[in-house]
Amino acid sequence: MAKVGIPHALAYYLYYPFWKTFFEKLGHEVVVSTPTTRAILDRGVEETVNDACIPIKIYHGHVASLIDQVDYIFCPRLISVRRHGDFGTETFCPKFLGLPDLIRLTFTGAPPIIDTPIDINQLESKPKSKKDKKRKPAEIMEAACVETGDRLGNSITQSRAAYQKAAQVHQRFLTLLEQGKLPPEAIDILFPPENPISYELENPEFNLAVVGYPYAIYDHYINVGLLNILHKENIKVYTQDTLSDKILNQEASELPKSMFWYFSNRAVYGALYYMKKGYIDGIVHITAFACGPDSMVDRLLEIEARRRGKPYLPISIDEHTGESGVRTRVEAFVDMLRYRRDKK
Amino acid sequence: MKGFLGVDVGSVSTNIVVVDADGKLLVDRYLRTSGRPIEVVQQGIYDIGKELAGDVEILAAGTTGSARFLTSMIVGADVVKNEITAHAVAASNIVPGVRTIIEIGGQDSKIIILRDGVVTDFAMNTVCAAGTGSFLDQQASRLLIPIEEFGNYALKAKNPVRIAGRCAVFAESDMVHKQQLGYNTEDIIAGLCEALVRNYMNNVGKGKEILDPIIFQGGVAANAGLVQAFNHYLNTEVTVPPYFGVMGAIGAALLAKDIYAKKGSTNFKGFNLRDIKYVTTSFECKGCSNACEVVQFYQNGELLARWGDRCGKWELQID
Repeated sequence: MAKVGIPHALAYYLYYPFWKTFFEKLGHEVVVSTPTTRAILDRGVEETVNDACIPIKIYHGHVASLIDQVDYIFCPRLISVRRHGDFGTETFCPKFLGLPDLIRLTFTGAPPIIDTPIDINQLESKPKSKKDKKRKPAEIMEAACVETGDRLGNSITQSRAAYQKAAQVHQRFLTLLEQGKLPPEAIDILFPPENPISYELENPEFNLAVVGYPYAIYDHYINVGLLNILHKENIKVYTQDTLSDKILNQEASELPKSMFWYFSNRAVYGALYYMKKGYIDGIVHITAFACGPDSMVDRLLEIEARRRGKPYLPISIDEHTGESGVRTRVEAFVDMLRYRRDKK
Repeated sequence: MKGFLGVDVGSVSTNIVVVDADGKLLVDRYLRTSGRPIEVVQQGIYDIGKELAGDVEILAAGTTGSARFLTSMIVGADVVKNEITAHAVAASNIVPGVRTIIEIGGQDSKIIILRDGVVTDFAMNTVCAAGTGSFLDQQASRLLIPIEEFGNYALKAKNPVRIAGRCAVFAESDMVHKQQLGYNTEDIIAGLCEALVRNYMNNVGKGKEILDPIIFQGGVAANAGLVQAFNHYLNTEVTVPPYFGVMGAIGAALLAKDIYAKKGSTNFKGFNLRDIKYVTTSFECKGCSNACEVVQFYQNGELLARWGDRCGKWELQID
């Protein structure tokens, strides 16, 4: 039985329940790194190529913290999980595509990296007919599970059974999200720790949609506790992740063209959805400094928010972000919402 | 007479004002923070008290600026507000109907958009300090020109030189380059002012609906060269209010006035703050690998507050 390390970063926030269940069903032990700390950030900044964005640097820090504890690092090559966009060519951001290579070349003494590709456009090895040439999302995940299990010495039958269980848990995770739980809350409900995270509020003063990449919204260290600041201000948070794919994808028709990247499309669709909702008092966009896709996403959201008259607050984060900067902006934004409300 | 105290402690300047019951400015101080906010606030408030010579009773106090929490504990504030709200409150009080506020301070710059007296949009500069007061200070001392004179040099320019204003580092090297080519100082300074305005409009002002009346405030509004450059860029007249340098403090005082109307009492510790001994110490928490630097604030040897930790373990606030 192997010890498999899962970095607490990037895709963790949406896929951890799936992969944890899968590995444990196969009898392996999952070791997840702690939430981001200063030590992890510092290590990541030290190890990573200088022009990478902060989430990628943080990922390196998490990998570094796992190296001495595990037999394998699980770092799948996330390429695409659906056929979406104008030509069905949506992918993850290019840095995700090259992530296993970045990790392998940065940490030469690291344990083996399991870099199973997740690619919807991967051709089936023996297509039964022309129509079947391309696989469905579920089949891709199953095939990825079989390949991953194979790396760990598990049979196809074992991996398929573990996949079934993982898919069930993932479905429960999605249901919790659609009930309004944020991913860290939902993860703590599925795998209860000693002190589960909860953002429940009795009677929130405002409802804000916080959109952006999951690894920017839910990583408390890098966004200097934004969700906690909002919670203390008695503000309920909605994110694109609490919306179903069906609802999100309906927003695609609002734009003449989709983005090329999976997480960017989710953030944009989520923001557009919430901009139309009367119960949402404003939109907060968390963006990582030096993020290529966000140079477009942020501008697009700013224009759409103005056009629709929704208050909009962009918050840019990087390795030097101090709490006071975020706090000042949030406080001023909430003051603005209060003055607006009282004026009405 | 009754009055309300407002204190704005920023990275570069510390501003202290007292306004009367009608919101009219009675006295103001513009001081350099010089990295010693506690002493500067203590001394500044003592001096103001001396100037008012017991004629004014302070009914409430407000603090703002990046050191607003620290300051609130020194003076005993009734309201602690962020700089954006404070500046907006002051500007709309002094120039009713204002729709755009350009504010440039020592290390940050912001734009505030108001409609019908309500803030509808705002932006602050991010990590980049290009185009703020500190950068101007630095360039003035490099050119051996007193900062007070800097703007007047720009006004004498005949032909402003084009300077890259995107980044303070590039702007400086571009200026050096232009100097070496022999351009005169006036034209270079005017070019720098234009570059700073371009940078401000492209970063902070990006995508904002800038409508008249426009107010230009913050310490940098003292620079006549920048005022001219803004007028030129926006093709209109920006207004520099009479107390442009202490608007944040005025806002804090006005907010204190509002709070007093609701609360009817004050935490203000009086003008004789000089006799109180404030000490801060800090330590690195060993609880986890975040290694937070926790600050402890003592008044006459008594622990009043702690802050700086991310998890809330040490956080302590005594009202």
